[in-house]
Amino acid sequence: MGNYYFSTKKMCVGYDNKSLIKDIEIVLSRGEILSIIGPNGAGKSTVLKSIAGQLKLVGGTVYIGSHNLTEMNSNELAKQMSVVFTQKVMAELKSCKDVVATGRYPYTGRFGILSKEDKQVVDEVIELTHITDISYKDFDKVSDGQKQRVMLARAICQEPEIVILDEPVSYLDIKYKLEFLSILQEIRKKRGLTVIMSLHELELAKIVSDKILCLKGEYVERYGTPTQVFKSDFIEYLFDLKDGNFLKNKDFLSYIRQISLLP
Amino acid sequence: MYQNRKRRYIIVFIFLSISMLVFFMLNVCIGSIKIALSDVLITLVGHNSDETITRILWDIRLPRATSVLILGGALSLSGYLLQTFFNNPIAGPFVLGISSGSKMVVALIMVFLMRKAVRVTSAAIIIGAFIGAILSMGFVLLMSNKINNMSMLVVSGIMIGYICSAITELVVTFADDADIVNLHNWSRGSFSGMTWDNVKVMAIVIFLTFIAVFFMSKPLSAYQLGDAYAVNVGVNIRALRICIVIFSSILSACVVAFAGPISFVGVATPHLVKKCLNTTEPILMIPACFIGGSVFCLFCDLFAKTVLAPTELSISTVTAILGAPVVLWVMTEKRRENHM
Repeated sequence: MGNYYFSTKKMCVGYDNKSLIKDIEIVLSRGEILSIIGPNGAGKSTVLKSIAGQLKLVGGTVYIGSHNLTEMNSNELAKQMSVVFTQKVMAELKSCKDVVATGRYPYTGRFGILSKEDKQVVDEVIELTHITDISYKDFDKVSDGQKQRVMLARAICQEPEIVILDEPVSYLDIKYKLEFLSILQEIRKKRGLTVIMSLHELELAKIVSDKILCLKGEYVERYGTPTQVFKSDFIEYLFDLKDGNFLKNKDFLSYIRQISLLP
Repeated sequence: MYQNRKRRYIIVFIFLSISMLVFFMLNVCIGSIKIALSDVLITLVGHNSDETITRILWDIRLPRATSVLILGGALSLSGYLLQTFFNNPIAGPFVLGISSGSKMVVALIMVFLMRKAVRVTSAAIIIGAFIGAILSMGFVLLMSNKINNMSMLVVSGIMIGYICSAITELVVTFADDADIVNLHNWSRGSFSGMTWDNVKVMAIVIFLTFIAVFFMSKPLSAYQLGDAYAVNVGVNIRALRICIVIFSSILSACVVAFAGPISFVGVATPHLVKKCLNTTEPILMIPACFIGGSVFCLFCDLFAKTVLAPTELSISTVTAILGAPVVLWVMTEKRRENHM
């Protein structure tokens, strides 16, 4: 698929063969960050699950490099792509380091015992994601922000070319949000990682992304660079902000202007 | 840290193995007649001139203790697999209706074959128990395709358990008295009356299943993290689920076939073993659960034989008395941890 590393062609996603969103066309070069934005229920998670191969495509194709995603075997795919999802992680009696090490699965032998190289990768990734200080703590006992970084580390440990994140910073406070995204950018720079994620934070999406995909209704509303997408009153339109009781509140109104009228 | 862990694992495994050996020997020595350890050892080597003791040991004590060891391990491993499958601490062969399914089919076979005066072989009972287990599990899996929700799956398991128990009751009500006596003994759960032929069959079936389960430890460990992550690292989740169900069914069916339904071993022992090891890694838990289940059952059988001697308690009475508190303790502890 030309020079692009990741692309979709007429991708239709949905459940039980009924498509929710049709004709999604994404093209990404290696090392680009794509953010998917849109109102609740617009199908952001559905798109991500479909791209990750966890939900059967209703139509169209997903390409990684020149490979068709549905034709790749599960181990090959696991070495190409990893995920950080919102579902609760069950990690009873596991330290953060143990959780990170589970990302080595596609590389270990029949019994999943870590080799010296595997352990070295785990240590490197732990340093890269700044979780050295908590690596020996119980995963169940660290904060949500730390957990999210551990899950990112797990995903990176898989040594993928592309990582898919579903609302990775939604439940984090502002410090952890910034920290998480800056780590993500750092890894992107160091390893040429391609990132696809859904974000609720429009301001942050604008800063960190190379491409933005807006979902609303049955078709892709808009796709392009942040400057192309964040134009005039587009955000107000995307989220139906024009009519709402909250508009009577002046402070809210100015907040909406702030996020939508960025130059 | 990793050094400490390794030491802990080694200590736990040594401790479990020694306990297994000690309780096995105690089970062999203690009974209606006490046999000295030296006599046992002499008999094992094959130089005992006392015919009575030799007969008691070879025909009664040794096959019984061996079968307790094997079946106890199988039950515990079956419980561990089901708990992993459902990520649910109270899952076990009973909760999913596997035992009830086995019991129903075995009861049907016993009643109808006996009425026709056909001898009931152990192979027929095992196959019957397995068919029963798979029928229950098949139903539960069929439901899982429709509801795709773990807790609802457990509920449908409980329902199928009730249905099977009701059918068993019905069969027993209309059966002849002589049949019921036979059925009644078995349905209370007991390790008595085991022969070497029984032991041979169960040893082969359970050993092969154990090896198969052990080879599943890698995908099982990925499965523990959650479905989405397991799929992401390349686990074929559907195949894995089917394997877990089939193997845990074989294990618990084997136990029901030979010793009848035995409660709480499958639920309690994996928790105790997990607490000792302080890990949930399947590659360690699978062998440890097996040995732990053996130790637990050997201890319970010893208890059943001795506490009200010469009357022998049913094995389920003992496992329930010792196992249920463990389950309650684990659950309250979990609650407390969640509140912190």
